[in-house]
Amino acid sequence: MTEVSIERLTKTFGSARAVDGISIRIADGEFISLLGPSGCGKTTTLKMIAGFEEASEGAIRFDGKDVVNVPAEKRDIGMVFQNYALFPHMTVDQNLAFGLEMRKIAKPEMLSRIAKVLDMVQLGGYSDRYPNQLSGGQQQRVALARALVIEPKILLLDEPLANLDAKLREEMRVFIRDLQRRVGITTVYVTHDQAEAMTMSDRVVVMFGGRIAQIGAPSDIYERPENLEVAQFVGQVNLVRGTILGGTITGPAGAGKSRVASVFGDVAVDSRADHAPGTAVTLSLRPEAIELKPAGQGGAQGKVMARYYSGSIIDYRIALDSSETLHVQTFPNIRIAEGDRVSVHAPADGFWLLGAAQ
Amino acid sequence: MMPARRKGLGPLILIAPAAVLLGVFLVLPYLNIVVMSFRMPGQGTPYGAGFTIGNYTKFFVDSFYLLQVANTLWIGLITTAICLVVGFPVAWQLARGAMRFRALAYGLVLSPLLVGIVIRSYGWTILLGNAGLINRTLTGMGLIDRPLPLMYNALGIVIALVHVFLPFMILPIMAAIQGVDPSLESAARSLGASRFTAFRRIVLPLCTPGIQAGCILVFVLSLSAYVTPSLIGGLRVKTMAVTVVDALIDTFQWPWGSALALMLSVTGALCVVIFARLTRMKWKVGRT
Repeated sequence: MTEVSIERLTKTFGSARAVDGISIRIADGEFISLLGPSGCGKTTTLKMIAGFEEASEGAIRFDGKDVVNVPAEKRDIGMVFQNYALFPHMTVDQNLAFGLEMRKIAKPEMLSRIAKVLDMVQLGGYSDRYPNQLSGGQQQRVALARALVIEPKILLLDEPLANLDAKLREEMRVFIRDLQRRVGITTVYVTHDQAEAMTMSDRVVVMFGGRIAQIGAPSDIYERPENLEVAQFVGQVNLVRGTILGGTITGPAGAGKSRVASVFGDVAVDSRADHAPGTAVTLSLRPEAIELKPAGQGGAQGKVMARYYSGSIIDYRIALDSSETLHVQTFPNIRIAEGDRVSVHAPADGFWLLGAAQ
Repeated sequence: MMPARRKGLGPLILIAPAAVLLGVFLVLPYLNIVVMSFRMPGQGTPYGAGFTIGNYTKFFVDSFYLLQVANTLWIGLITTAICLVVGFPVAWQLARGAMRFRALAYGLVLSPLLVGIVIRSYGWTILLGNAGLINRTLTGMGLIDRPLPLMYNALGIVIALVHVFLPFMILPIMAAIQGVDPSLESAARSLGASRFTAFRRIVLPLCTPGIQAGCILVFVLSLSAYVTPSLIGGLRVKTMAVTVVDALIDTFQWPWGSALALMLSVTGALCVVIFARLTRMKWKVGRT
């Protein structure tokens, strides 16, 4: 039952600011992801929470108590590493027992806790195996069990799925998420994989260059990105030029929307800030929001330049007559071939106003 | 399914050069020595006609030689222990430390091997002798009245041997430490282990293979060292290797020298086997 509060946390290496004054409040039992490209400071932040890296400035509070000067072994954290970091000279049982021995837990309780956790990660019966006798996914689950068996205040995961193959990765996402919910432990998860962050987290912290670009629920990050960088990092996005039109939009649906003239006509677009009429703006348009119809059915007109079939979806590249290129994702139930002329429809709620055009 | 491993000539061809080399230059001479050790001592010749076990009874009956073996083993043991204690931190620093002059440090570690053994040993006599640099400096400073006995004793031999064999301890341990993932220490600490406990329970067991290799190398090299003990030990302290050479070359007693040489090999091998047994790693044996 731990609430984590990070306040103006900074880490400098020489003159470089790896983490630059970030603040995050993590609620008890919350699953939060630090998402960003490599070098954005997410791993350094995690290491500072764990106590492996000293904070240059700022505070890290566990339930209000600053732990910046507490050594890693006294912070009561459970950590899962990218390469699992299982002790190769110890069996699964011994790996799990290690943290309990450090806590001087009596033998009978130790055994029952190990058995319980192994059961939880579905590895009962693997007690006597050495790590190199386990598959990658199994090692991952042992690492998870080893971190959880000590019943830590906080669970920290550093790109734990990066070394697994795609199918296993998707299974483990669900597995870890379910386990975290059941245990109810406050969790910080570091990843560069936006799909991982979105599916697992209560909230996602998007980081670039040591700073926080946006904190929000996955749907918030995806549908209402703070800026172009965030929009491009969390998914594929089409950029559409537009101009702010004057006049207000009436009705409850109009709140917070701006009228924008674009190649798709006049649309009422959600935005965070107001812009003066006449301002050139950039709109984002997600590929899956776009609808393709045979030519001559209204909307913007264009031509299919390329079509990529991948089972559950088809990707299209469309060259609009207005010379813009669009990336469109559709269900495979429409039959439009390369070279066909198409009508492109984009519903107003597929747009998001990113900001003034640069 | 894994494809069945081809049982061809491949592996044989790979080990053939080494096998031939060892066979011709190690096994055959050894066999010759074994035979020689059972020959009769000669009169004016290296060996006489007929066979005997007299060389061995002489060895076991005369406590002088047993004591010499014990002495040699003791010198080897102390040399190995000092190399381990001195070498481990260096190996750690080379493997893990953030060092600006890593190449230079490597060079320094290897430097004892770059100087010929005779020159190096004479270097030590210049330093350690009664009129040597160390004693002259200390007497000059008025710290001692009489020169410290640094040469012609076991201490001098150990000092010189540690110097020569330190690289053989450092290099395998360094390689072993490099093979231990640093995140294992982080994992141990996240589980509540102090730095020291993480080192003792995780890092140390995992670099045991390197420690083992280093210890065996230094120990065996110390037992068989000849030039350094003979130059620094002089006539007063003799190791087995020196006595063997005396018997073979100075007094020309080939059967006796062969028996001594074999006893040295056997005791050395016994020590290595016992040591390897004691430091056996179950987790390595248990691997599939």
